[in-house]
Amino acid sequence: MGGNPIQFDYTVVATVLSFLLLVWLLSKKAWGPLMKMMDERRDNIESMLTKAENERQQAEQIKREYQEEMRKARQEAQEVIAKATKVSEERAAEILAESHEEAEKIKKSALVDIERERDRAISEVKAQVADLSVLVAEKIIRQKLDMKGQGKLIEQFIQEVGDMQ
Amino acid sequence: MEKEELVLWHLGNMTFHAKTLIMTWTAMAAILLFCYLGVRHLTSGKPGKMQNVLEWIVDFVRSLVSDNMDSEKGRPLLGYLLTLIMFVFFSNMIGLIPNFTFNLFEHFDIEFAHLNKIFEGPSLQSPTADINTTASLALLTIILVVSLGIKHKGLHYFHHFVEPSPVFVLIHAIDMISKPMTLAFRLFGNIFAGEILLKVIMMLPGIWVLPGVLPATIWLAFSIFIGAIQSYVFTVLTTAYISQAVSSDH
Repeated sequence: MGGNPIQFDYTVVATVLSFLLLVWLLSKKAWGPLMKMMDERRDNIESMLTKAENERQQAEQIKREYQEEMRKARQEAQEVIAKATKVSEERAAEILAESHEEAEKIKKSALVDIERERDRAISEVKAQVADLSVLVAEKIIRQKLDMKGQGKLIEQFIQEVGDMQ
Repeated sequence: MEKEELVLWHLGNMTFHAKTLIMTWTAMAAILLFCYLGVRHLTSGKPGKMQNVLEWIVDFVRSLVSDNMDSEKGRPLLGYLLTLIMFVFFSNMIGLIPNFTFNLFEHFDIEFAHLNKIFEGPSLQSPTADINTTASLALLTIILVVSLGIKHKGLHYFHHFVEPSPVFVLIHAIDMISKPMTLAFRLFGNIFAGEILLKVIMMLPGIWVLPGVLPATIWLAFSIFIGAIQSYVFTVLTTAYISQAVSSDH
């Protein structure tokens, strides 16, 4: 005993049994649950990755729709502005035309007025001339004209007529 | 120099290497504790430190198996291989731990168990420094090889003994026997020699063990390395032998 380190005995049996017991215990209590957890975690991560990918695609979709809508809205706004500009230009032209017409009308009526005023003035002058003529004739008759007084009278008359015009 | 005495337990006319068995059970208890700490707060979310370590080991062995064989065939083996690598590693490490019992068992001696004789000397003994332990593990390996070979290929498994011609049956038989033998003796030799050298370093002349501090430290570090390598080698070879037996390509 002691010298030779290689001695077989029933320790082999005891060790085999002990080791198999350890294998059974650990497989049941440690490796099994542990590997199950690891698989679970892998599945979790996989599903999370898929979910994240889905959500990313959805976000992309929403972004695209949003951009499309923005583009549309901008286009519509552009159209509205263009329309408004056109309408206002038309209106302005209309207003301008109307005012031109108005001015023309006013001018015409003013001309008519002026014409009428002139006619009136002329006829008034004519009437006054007639009145004056009557007045002069009256004066002439009333004052018994001499030659000298006659010339003076004529001159006065002429001057009166000139003032009136 | 005191001669190392083999402590034996007797049961009927059977004998057991008491020191080896006690150390085997100590290693098993350590593994169980280690694994308990790992699976205590088991979660599929963010794992704790110990769970991380265990998962690292599982991943390590799993990749080992999937490198060597069909992962479908290898899956039922994972539990065995994981336990194997842990057991061999822990066993190899136990022999490097100093004996912290301080002869306590001389006062609490149980006559049958010879605990005082088991826990004497400067350090504990690796179960793998006993050929019985390594032989048991090698025996289990070869049993697994043959039984899985039969399970996956039926009686066709034995066909490879006579390939390429029946003359080769002898060589195949030697191969079959040498596989567990090399497994057992390689592990045993590495660990046993390591412990012998550790004891020799402890016996360096001088004031007790102080002169041996530096060489013992270096040798302990190297022994940790060897212990890790040997546990890896044992597991890899077991995987390789099994994959040879179950692979369907020849």
